[in-house]
Amino acid sequence: MNNSLTFEFSLARRFLEENKLQTLLIVLGIAIGVAVMVFLTALIDGLQADLIQKTVGKAPHIVVTSAEAVSQEAVKSVDGHTVLMIDTTQKDQRPIGEYHMLVNVFSADQRIRAVLPAVDGSGLIRRGQVTRGVLLRGFDLDQANRIYDISNSVIEGNRKPINNSVLIGKDLAVDLGVSSGDPISLELPGQDPLALMVDGIFDLGVSAINQRWLVMDQRQAAALLGIGDQVTSLELQVQDVFLAEQIARAWSSKLPNYQLKSWQETNAQLLTALKSQSSSSYTIQFFVLLAVILGVASVLAINAVQKSKQIGILKAMGIRTNSVARAFMIQGVVLGLMGSITGFGLGIFLTKIFILLAGQQLTLLLKPLSVIVILSSTMLSATLSAYLPARRVSQLNPIEVIRNG
Amino acid sequence: MDNVLLKTINTTKEFGQEIKSQVLFGINLEIQAGEFVSMIGSSGSGKSTLLNILGALDRPTTGKVIIDGTNLGQLSDDQLAYFRNRTIGFIFQSHFLLPQFTVLENVLIPYLIYAGKAPTEIKARALDLLDRVGLSHRKDNRANAISGGEQQRVAIARSLINHPSIILADEPTGNLDSKNTQKVFEMLKSINRDYQTTLIMVTHDHTLAASCDRLLKLKDGLIIEDLDLIKQPIQIQEDRCSVSD
Repeated sequence: MNNSLTFEFSLARRFLEENKLQTLLIVLGIAIGVAVMVFLTALIDGLQADLIQKTVGKAPHIVVTSAEAVSQEAVKSVDGHTVLMIDTTQKDQRPIGEYHMLVNVFSADQRIRAVLPAVDGSGLIRRGQVTRGVLLRGFDLDQANRIYDISNSVIEGNRKPINNSVLIGKDLAVDLGVSSGDPISLELPGQDPLALMVDGIFDLGVSAINQRWLVMDQRQAAALLGIGDQVTSLELQVQDVFLAEQIARAWSSKLPNYQLKSWQETNAQLLTALKSQSSSSYTIQFFVLLAVILGVASVLAINAVQKSKQIGILKAMGIRTNSVARAFMIQGVVLGLMGSITGFGLGIFLTKIFILLAGQQLTLLLKPLSVIVILSSTMLSATLSAYLPARRVSQLNPIEVIRNG
Repeated sequence: MDNVLLKTINTTKEFGQEIKSQVLFGINLEIQAGEFVSMIGSSGSGKSTLLNILGALDRPTTGKVIIDGTNLGQLSDDQLAYFRNRTIGFIFQSHFLLPQFTVLENVLIPYLIYAGKAPTEIKARALDLLDRVGLSHRKDNRANAISGGEQQRVAIARSLINHPSIILADEPTGNLDSKNTQKVFEMLKSINRDYQTTLIMVTHDHTLAASCDRLLKLKDGLIIEDLDLIKQPIQIQEDRCSVSD
C-alpha cells in the first residue's frame, strides 16, 4: 500500500502550506539552531585543529628513549609544551647504541612518516656578559627537516651547518646579540669552553625552540658529548597524529628496553582542555536540539488540534490510523529537512562573515563528519518530536469530532 | 424483491466504563438494497448511535451488524477503515470538507486515501458527480471559498466517488435554509433513484422523513415505528404527532 503514502505526503504538504507563516517561523527557528551549531562546530574544530597543529606540527609525535633513563626529572620538566619534553634530562639518559636497527624497524612501519635519531645535551653559551642555557641538538639536517623543516626556516646565513659551526634560534641570537658568522663559546658540563661559529639563524615559530636550540651535525654532537656512535633519542612523526599513542603503546610492548612517549601523554593537559571544550560545544548542541524538538512538537500539536475536524472526517472516510500518524510525521521530517538545509546555508554564511571580520588569525574548520552529525541529529530530533502529536491526532475518534462538529 | 443489504441482529450499545448507560436495546433491522430510509427520534433516542454503528464508525456492545455479507465484528480497525472507504459514503450535518484542497480534490479524497493518485477516468467521474450536484464550475475553488449549501453538495458528490452501496446521511440538511434543504434532498432522492444506492438519513425534518421509502422512529434505544411509506404513504402534516417527537 505505497499508494496511501502518496496521499499522506499531499496531506502533509497541504497542512504545511495552509499555514505558511507558522511553517516559515518554525523552519526559521530550526535554521537558526542549525546555523549556530554549524558555526560553533566550525569555530571549535578550527581552534582545536589549529592548537594541535601548533603542538604537533613541527614536533615529534613519539620520542623514543632508553627505558632505564626515565627519571623523576623527565616528568617534572614537561609542562605542556612539546619542545620541553626533550629537555635537560636528556643528558642523564643512557645513549642508544643500536639506533641503526631502530631506524630500520621504525622506517618499515607504514604508519610512521619520519624517523630522526638525535644526540641531545645541555650546555651554556657565553658571549660577553650574557650567559644562556641551551639545548644542544645534533642530528642529520636532511632528516630533521622532515619534522622541523629547519632549512626552510633559516632567516639568516647558511641553511646547513658546516664543521664547528651551528644554527641557532632567532630569539637566542637576539639575546646574545649575534648574527651569522659571529663566534660563540659553548660550555658543556665538565668540559672546557669550545669555540663555535654561528652559521645561520632560524625561526621555527616556537619561542621555546627559538630561545634554546643550538643545532649541529649529529656526529659532531656525539663527539662533543663523548658518546661515540650512539644517540640519545629517536624522534618519530606518524601519519595520523591521533594514532600516535596507540602506535607508541604497540611498539613499547615489542621494545621493552625502550620507552616510547607519545605527544598525547606529554600534552595530557592540552588534550583535557580540548575535550572539555568539545563537551561544552556538545552541551550547547544538545540544548539547541532540545529547542528544535520543543518547537516542532508545539507547532505540530497546535496543527493537530486545528485539523482535528478534517482528521475526523478522513477517518470516517476510511483513512487508517497509521496513515494519519505518518502524515504528521512527514510534516516533522519536512520541517526538519527545510530547517536543516536553510540552517546549513546560514551557518556557512555566518562563518564566512566571521572569517571576513576576524581576519586570518582564526581558522574555521567544517569537517564533513560534523556536518553530517549536525544535520542528521536535527532531522532525527524533528522526526522524533513529531511522534507524540502524530500519535495523538491519529487516535482521534471520528465519532467525537462529528458529534461535536 | 428481497435483497437484504444491511442487517442488525440484537444490536445493543452501552457507553461508559464504571457507570454504564445503555443507548441501544436489541436492534433488529433489515434494510433492502436500494431503499431510502429515514430515521427520526428525539435527541437521546439512539438514532445517531445506531447510524454510527451502521456506518462502521462504532462497534456494538453486543449483537451483529452485517453489511453486504460482511460481519463487521470480525474486522480489525484497519479492515473496518478500508470497509468504510469502499462500501459506505458519509454525509454529515457539517459538511467537513478539507479547506486545504480544491472542490474537485475534495470529491476525490475517498479515492485518493488508498490510491494516492486519481487516473483520468476517476477524475472524469468526479467531474460528472460535481456536474450532477451543479457545481462543476466551482471545481478549482478552494473548498472553503464556496457557500454552505454548495459545500454540502460537494460532500454529496464526495460520498459517491467510490461507488458505495450505502450512503449514511446524518442530518444532511440541518444547517441549510429551506431552499437548499429542498435542493439537497432532491439530489439524494435522485441518487437513490439513479444509482440504486441505499440511503439512510437521520433527520429532524418530518416533511423530508415522510418523503422517503421507509421511516424508522427510535425512542429510548428501540425502533418503535417502522413504516413502509411506499405501501402506506402518510399525510404530511406539520403537527402530526405520531411521527413527531
